[in-house]
Amino acid sequence: MTWLRLILIHLRIAVLNELQYRTNLGLQLFQSAVALATSLVSIAFVFSKTDHLAGWSASQLLAVVGVYFLVGGLTQLFILPSLGRFMEDVRLGALDFALIKPVDSQLLITTRQVEAWKVIDVLIGVCVIGVALVQMGTSLDPIQAMVFVIVLVAGVVVVSSFVMILATCAFWFIRVQNILVIFQAMYEAGRWPITIYPPWLQGALTFLVPVGFAITVPAEALVGRLDWRLLAGAVALAVVLPVFSRWFWMMGLRAYSGASA
Amino acid sequence: MRHRGPLVSAVTPFRILPLGTPRPAIVVQNLTKTFDVPEREAGLRAALRGVFKRRTREVIAVSSVSFAIERGEIVGFLGPNGAGKTTTLKMLAGLLYPTSGEATVLGYIPWQRNAEFLRQMTLVMGQRNQLVWDIPVADSYELNRAIYRVPEHEYRETLDELSDLLDLGPLIIKPVRNLSLGERMRCEIAGALLHRPRILFLDEPTLGLDVTAQRRIRSFFREYADRYQATVLLTSHYMADVEALAKRIVVIHRGLILYDGALAGLIERFAPLKTITVDVSSPLLDPGRYGEVVSVEEGRVTIQVAKPDVAAVTNRLLADVSVTDLTISDPPIDEIIDRVFQHETIPDAEVEVPPAFART
Repeated sequence: MTWLRLILIHLRIAVLNELQYRTNLGLQLFQSAVALATSLVSIAFVFSKTDHLAGWSASQLLAVVGVYFLVGGLTQLFILPSLGRFMEDVRLGALDFALIKPVDSQLLITTRQVEAWKVIDVLIGVCVIGVALVQMGTSLDPIQAMVFVIVLVAGVVVVSSFVMILATCAFWFIRVQNILVIFQAMYEAGRWPITIYPPWLQGALTFLVPVGFAITVPAEALVGRLDWRLLAGAVALAVVLPVFSRWFWMMGLRAYSGASA
Repeated sequence: MRHRGPLVSAVTPFRILPLGTPRPAIVVQNLTKTFDVPEREAGLRAALRGVFKRRTREVIAVSSVSFAIERGEIVGFLGPNGAGKTTTLKMLAGLLYPTSGEATVLGYIPWQRNAEFLRQMTLVMGQRNQLVWDIPVADSYELNRAIYRVPEHEYRETLDELSDLLDLGPLIIKPVRNLSLGERMRCEIAGALLHRPRILFLDEPTLGLDVTAQRRIRSFFREYADRYQATVLLTSHYMADVEALAKRIVVIHRGLILYDGALAGLIERFAPLKTITVDVSSPLLDPGRYGEVVSVEEGRVTIQVAKPDVAAVTNRLLADVSVTDLTISDPPIDEIIDRVFQHETIPDAEVEVPPAFART
């Protein structure tokens, strides 16, 4: 509940901030449109040569693109930008003001930066998924829909906790902004179902960077080809990673030395 | 975060307090903080070597510091850069974990960061700001109000009061980036006090401000502390800040407390000389026989004399020449403090200063 309250408080500030600079909406629309067009063109190109890609049809791949936008939009709404700001604050010593507030420090630092325009990506994701479902001609039965929502939430939780853990490293290494850049690059790979990649890369994209759990698994649930073991794995990871990230955060706070006097 | 109640018996007080006496607001015992600081020589080669093998040096920022501060007391922390003032302050504000030692603030262990504790204290840092840069000050205040859950009417009341005392007026509807440094600092201070904290940690609150702005901020803090019976711990290297606000000062140098007591006592202890300035109508011959000559000007002579000799020297002066005016004064505090830091060992001080441990 605190978390939701903090998000709303910071959303208000974000909106106020946005209203100071009105050009952002246009830029964001443009950026999202370009990203969507790139995805669609590459799918069209691949399927002009073949009917199936590692067992995925064109409309199923469209579902993957939809999930890619949805999860990307959800995580970039506040968690990723907030963690980016956190890393910057550790380096510049501005974190002190966040740590003296009478709310849970981890909740606070994951909500301080809200990028309201990322709602656009979330909407694009939902629309693309809708189109993909229509194209596939399947209607989601309630159980399938429920499983999709579960793995989707699990995916968002896994990605968020994962980046949280990376960001916490800033307490020891101070300059870790590059980690987020690397993560973004790896996340790009999730535009395609990870099953099309060679096994070593699949492994990396599942366990090293949990893009597989965040995008491919929910997409598989959507198109009805999800293995129950993956479902169990995603849920388990969505429980273990946040707990670990909590513990790691506490360790980080102990190690925090503050930017010098 | 787990909720913890106030810890009553975590630290034994220095003095045996009679039953029913309120405990001091801040109790610190043997607090120590060391940092591992990476160390390498300048240059590319050294930098490359540093990537593979990091050499670190242990730096003692605060070394077994103990003191207690009563509720409502204003205490000034004095010391040169890197003395350990800010590190001590940050530990008491719950930002840093100590390497060893104990502390309680209002009965709470600060670094456990209990929400109840955090709600009752604030931190003002002269060189960092928490207000959001691009939006009007009032919107940043609203953010703090929401985070601290200050009820709307109480917030209005406090804001009016602070706005009045700090003369904020039209400033709070301007974006922070359009404010001058002095205006910004006043807005920062109000923002840090909206929840009416009872403990104030002020780290160089007047840094970089002009004299007028400094004076204004000093008188504000005095007013606030009076009104709310707030306990204030202030660091500054402007002597005037400390002189104006604190009756008690703690001199800290290289992580150690060199002096803890009244301002007057510091002068007593570290300034064994008094300054005598005489205006004379006839020239004073050979002023060196009265004391150490500081300056001789047209009709005015300034000399320094050991305290016990002041009366005798004054008598002799009055007998020897025709004096039109005579003043006896303590040397300026700045000078005294300077001498303390330069000599490092102090006459009659029990504290031994270990070689070079300052954190820079």
